[in-house]
Amino acid sequence: MSHSRVFLFAALLIGCAPAVWAQADVPIPKSVVQKAYSAEAAAAGESAFVQNCAFCHGRDTGGGESGPDLTRSTLVTEDVDGDKIGPVIRNGKGAMPRFPVSEQELANLVAFIHTQKAKAESQVGSRRGVDTEDLKTGDVGRGRALFNGTGKCATCHSPTGDLAGVASKYQGLELMRRTLYPRGAKVMLTVTLASGEKLTGEREYQDEFTVALRDGSGTYRSFAMSKVKVEADAPAEAHVAMLPQYTDDNLHDLMTYLLTLQ
Amino acid sequence: MKYLDLFVKPLGIAAILAGSLVAQDVTHEALVNPSAESWPMYHGDYSGKRHSPLKQITPENVGNLGLAWAFQTGAATSIKASPLVVDGVIYFSVPDIVWAVDARSGKEIWKYQYPENKGFHIGSRGVSIYKDWLFFVTPDSHLISLNAKDGSVRWDVEVADAKRGYWMTLSPLVVGNHVMVGPSGDFDNLTGFLKAIDPETGETQWRWDSTPPAGTPGGTTGGMMWMSGTYDPEANLVYWGTGNPTPVLNGRVRPGDNRHTGSIVALNPDTGKLAWAFQASPHDTHDWDAAEVPVLVDAEFGGRQRKLLLQASRNGYFFVLDRLTGENLLTKPFGPVNWATGLDAKGQPIPNPEKEPAPDGRIIAPDEAGLTNYRSPSFDPATGLLIVSTHPSYAVYFNKEADGAFGWAGADYSVWGTGVLKAIDYKTGDIRWTHELGEGTPSAGVLTTASGLTFTADIPGNLLALRSSDGKTLWHTSGGGRMQSQPVTYMLDGRQYVVTGIGGVLFSWALPE
Repeated sequence: MSHSRVFLFAALLIGCAPAVWAQADVPIPKSVVQKAYSAEAAAAGESAFVQNCAFCHGRDTGGGESGPDLTRSTLVTEDVDGDKIGPVIRNGKGAMPRFPVSEQELANLVAFIHTQKAKAESQVGSRRGVDTEDLKTGDVGRGRALFNGTGKCATCHSPTGDLAGVASKYQGLELMRRTLYPRGAKVMLTVTLASGEKLTGEREYQDEFTVALRDGSGTYRSFAMSKVKVEADAPAEAHVAMLPQYTDDNLHDLMTYLLTLQ
Repeated sequence: MKYLDLFVKPLGIAAILAGSLVAQDVTHEALVNPSAESWPMYHGDYSGKRHSPLKQITPENVGNLGLAWAFQTGAATSIKASPLVVDGVIYFSVPDIVWAVDARSGKEIWKYQYPENKGFHIGSRGVSIYKDWLFFVTPDSHLISLNAKDGSVRWDVEVADAKRGYWMTLSPLVVGNHVMVGPSGDFDNLTGFLKAIDPETGETQWRWDSTPPAGTPGGTTGGMMWMSGTYDPEANLVYWGTGNPTPVLNGRVRPGDNRHTGSIVALNPDTGKLAWAFQASPHDTHDWDAAEVPVLVDAEFGGRQRKLLLQASRNGYFFVLDRLTGENLLTKPFGPVNWATGLDAKGQPIPNPEKEPAPDGRIIAPDEAGLTNYRSPSFDPATGLLIVSTHPSYAVYFNKEADGAFGWAGADYSVWGTGVLKAIDYKTGDIRWTHELGEGTPSAGVLTTASGLTFTADIPGNLLALRSSDGKTLWHTSGGGRMQSQPVTYMLDGRQYVVTGIGGVLFSWALPE
């Protein structure tokens, strides 16, 4: 596991990597490759899934305690015979631990997950999930005022600049989550060495003892925190300061406004 | 005894014997007054303080701490157990597997493997010991008794029906002639309960239900037993934190307080009779169980010596109770909390109906993982600090009619969270110091020692020794993974060891010989 992944994943909460956030609108996205798996493989996969995956992802793969709904996952939608699911199972992702499965065990798990997804795709009517329409309960005018005023959004963002079309780029729930806090946003570091030399680059890793960046040439460089001075440019952290300020009405007004930015 | 569901399996499961036989005899007296050198139960002793009187490793010399040995489980699941240390032997577990390991060398003595089963394999908090016998719960909700000498099975009983959605993770609490266990399960509308089981025979002695059977008019389900409780031998009461009600996010179908869910309960271990209950989260709709360790402290409060119970609860509130009566002495948030309108006359938070999950989402602090959780805090008597691994965080919670009224019944999404170790003054609830643990959700428990040291780990995976009085880092290293377990300490041949399970490896740390 590279350091960049260690840091990125440390920054993410339980099982919420961006690729699998898209748990929003009905209908459930169709798998890129429609394929029927053998009932035997799916049954074997179900047994392993219940033991190792169901607490977080639900017994039916539809989402459980802290883990995403796999039937709505972009990664599962784009998976072909485990080419995307396999690396996540074997390497882990975010708070998800790695599972050292054999080829056969992996094939069974993939068969079960795709079988469940196909079942979910064929179901008519709504089930778990948040529809974009659910999020439009506020007032556009109040939301716009909040954006430009006490919400402080306009300090960094513009509806005709960086946020033009943002409601098309991110579906309802994902837009809400990114509005509250854009996970995985870039942090730029300036590291000053004892010699006075300054290095800048994107933060790759930081803890109490070690800091690392990738410099302009693409080289990974790490430093002992005790030996250098570190300045971080992390504009996304302004979102954290806003979290205690929002009322639910604020949030719904803001979402109703942002969802007009198609 | 209408709930008796004893089911003794044929005993034919072989244990692997790979060393000399070891002698145990952990009596009730040895559990009530454990030797400073041992760690004979989940919390170290019955109080739940996770505080050791050992003083060989000090703030002055901890910088020299190094690896004594490491034991590689080779298991796919991380160690979440708190190891036991008795007479030079370490006993610990992951789901389905128990090991006995030589505490001097880290060499395996025996290994017990439970047959493959369909229970949730999310974690095993460890084994318990009484006399020569170990007690171990399985993912499919059985309680197994093993011979501590060789890992052979004495008996195997079913505690709950795994096919209905129960599973088990906790380390059993042994009090006298009772082994107390209870199941977990949030994905089905199931009754929570605690059972006392005879350590000799495996027969159920009593069962206390936290919630009525599913379908009871006006009733709720849930109130599961996720963690091991604590015990006051003088009062002869066990203290247990119960889980959240179900359906988890849909509170409309279970109006009212949902009594005995999200609660701290005091039970008589001989009868299972309830002495008192305090509800940390009345009518919870955010998955905030009150399963966090009820820490028992005898100390001055309000000008007089009292028998106290402290809990830093998942819902974000720190509670101080009189543990003889359940009377509330202090309730105070220990981080961002936005879901209550105030406190009732009993000191219990009053949930804000506007903060129940809704179709358009409600912004809630803390998130589902809670301001703290299963990871053990530690109470340091010298400073009067409860040192807690906290998770300041925000989430959005959703529930709509279509989500139904079974199991989870809604969806919640964490939006931001971080890890902070906080030292809470038990008399005031004030935070005396903090130590940042990194972005995300912490997973390591806390150990303090009488020399003034605090052991824990941060989120990126650094194992830390801090000064208990101010949280300053005195030593650190990396075990190459996240610590999801609770540290313990013991003394052997005059040498103090600190044991940490990190990933699938048990590390034992000590000063140079």
